[in-house]
Amino acid sequence: MSFLDWLVLGGTLLFIVGYGTWRTRRAGNSLDGYLLGGRQARWWGVGLSIMATQASAVTFLSLPGQAYADGMRFIQFYFGLPLAMVLIAVVAVPIYSRLGVYTAYEFLQTRFDRRTRTLAAGLFLVQRGFSNGLSLYAPALVLSAILGWDTTLTVCLLGAVMITYTVSGGTRAVTVTQQGQMAVIFTGMVVAGYLLVHYLPAGVGFTDALHVAGRMGKLNLVDFNFDWENRYNFWTGMTGGLFLALSYFGTDQSQVQRYLSGQSVTQSRLGLLLNGLVKVPMQFGILLIGVLLFVFYLFQPAPLSFNRPVYEQVRLSSAAAPEMTRLEKEYAQVQQAQQEAATALVAARHAQDAPSQAQAEQRLQTTQAAAAGLRTDWKALVQRTAPTADAKDTDYVFLSFVLRYLPQGVVGLLLAVVLSAALGSASSGLNSLGSTTVIDLYRPFTRRPLALCTDKHLVRVSRGATVGWGLLGVGFALFAARMENLIQAVNILGSLFYGTILGIFAVAFFQKHVHGRAVFWAAMITQVATLLAFWLTDIAYLWYNVLGCFLVMGLAELLERTSSSSSSGPLSPADTGSQPN
Amino acid sequence: MPVSPMPPPSDKPPLLPSWRAWYWLVLGALAVEVAFFTYLTRSFAP
Repeated sequence: MSFLDWLVLGGTLLFIVGYGTWRTRRAGNSLDGYLLGGRQARWWGVGLSIMATQASAVTFLSLPGQAYADGMRFIQFYFGLPLAMVLIAVVAVPIYSRLGVYTAYEFLQTRFDRRTRTLAAGLFLVQRGFSNGLSLYAPALVLSAILGWDTTLTVCLLGAVMITYTVSGGTRAVTVTQQGQMAVIFTGMVVAGYLLVHYLPAGVGFTDALHVAGRMGKLNLVDFNFDWENRYNFWTGMTGGLFLALSYFGTDQSQVQRYLSGQSVTQSRLGLLLNGLVKVPMQFGILLIGVLLFVFYLFQPAPLSFNRPVYEQVRLSSAAAPEMTRLEKEYAQVQQAQQEAATALVAARHAQDAPSQAQAEQRLQTTQAAAAGLRTDWKALVQRTAPTADAKDTDYVFLSFVLRYLPQGVVGLLLAVVLSAALGSASSGLNSLGSTTVIDLYRPFTRRPLALCTDKHLVRVSRGATVGWGLLGVGFALFAARMENLIQAVNILGSLFYGTILGIFAVAFFQKHVHGRAVFWAAMITQVATLLAFWLTDIAYLWYNVLGCFLVMGLAELLERTSSSSSSGPLSPADTGSQPN
Repeated sequence: MPVSPMPPPSDKPPLLPSWRAWYWLVLGALAVEVAFFTYLTRSFAP
């Protein structure tokens, strides 16, 4: 990296974080100010904060690579999101707003009882507490592989920055910094997309690139065929994707806190609807960058593996040398043929010569199949030579391109995109962990006299909890570096809990006659059943969000009807979460 | 405490005449996006 890149990267991050911390230096004077930014956020601030919370570094590292390898079908995963935004705006926002809650789980005490609230808050803290650290670990891992940065140092530095401004300014600091972070993210992605098209060979335009990508099956955006085994099609997006979005945006405090900080119901709702309008096009843009990368590498030599450390590890092995030499030689030949076929396809398209076009397309598909075969051989070689190494390299495709081809300064900007996304997402998670700890665990259970539970005291406890969760996240991220499959395990962990939490909220909103005892035991049974199903069956994890929700609703209904003694109804207003207790 | 999902009557949205119009805008945009993606998929299919 050049000095200019370091300047852009460091300057951008320092300015955003410094400005956010300075702007919100007085945010900790009251509990409302610290946890919800004084409920002063406008609709665009709420919307940007919601988007920044969801868009982690993984979004910008993995999605282009996924489109590069698998096409754009992942976009269908987001089809349920706009509908979820509408449902949450209609049902949840007015209720949360009217009750004046700090966390989503407070509402559950108002509606059911304290133990149901504690159960939901506990499930959230477990899954978010673990997964938040990975928001820092994932970019550190890729940056260490590509730039040689030390993973431990990167995680610790990012963690220190995140903890400092989140603890200092609370929700307001998170929101203000996220606005700057989203500006950097949008700018960076537009610049990257423009330069990718600009770097295509002379005579190959944007529509040519789309044409070539489509012919190679990369523009597989919508698939209406229903198939249980196909994770991404229109129907899974509109069902599994909808339920996942309802769980995440409606019951996960890291998101609920974003729109609770809105100035009014109107501002909160518009923030959610802004996300509903922008999210699908934004993900489309990121995936399109991956498809353009695919086309770019049809005309430019691509490495056998974008994961440089694994590549070097295999290259330095004497046992793998003969096989490696063969693979590299054949891959270079295939790439040459691929470039010729792609050039011929574009030329035939310009000449509107259908037979030549079909012929070039056939040749290109043949070379693609040959390249895929060589990559499979490469992965087998990696498995034999370095069994613990990860042969998958799609997460490295985008940053490898950025570092190799983009001009000085832009490299720093795009690294700022990745780190901004990491900080924006992780700080929201951290902020919500601190809030839930103080509001749902500390305040209801503390034996401290009510008179001493002042705002000042609760803000101090929240700050302490935020530091604690931040350090735990950093520690977990460092621990994750030693565990190969932990990332996937923790991602799945979220889906294992979301179904149950969503079910509790669905009963609260829609089954008005069901009382606390029924929903509590329904949730407990569902959680155990979900964990057993995960261990004993092969159900794709996305479905746990749907199944868990319906199981809680069904069981709660059954228990309510069969149990004549299930009368632990809502508590009196004096005992609700709206009161300090 | 029973709660109702109905918003307060004074809660009017900006720009569009009602919240229902906003919701239809978001869902309409999704429909247009799906239609556009379907067009791209079919137009450029191998």
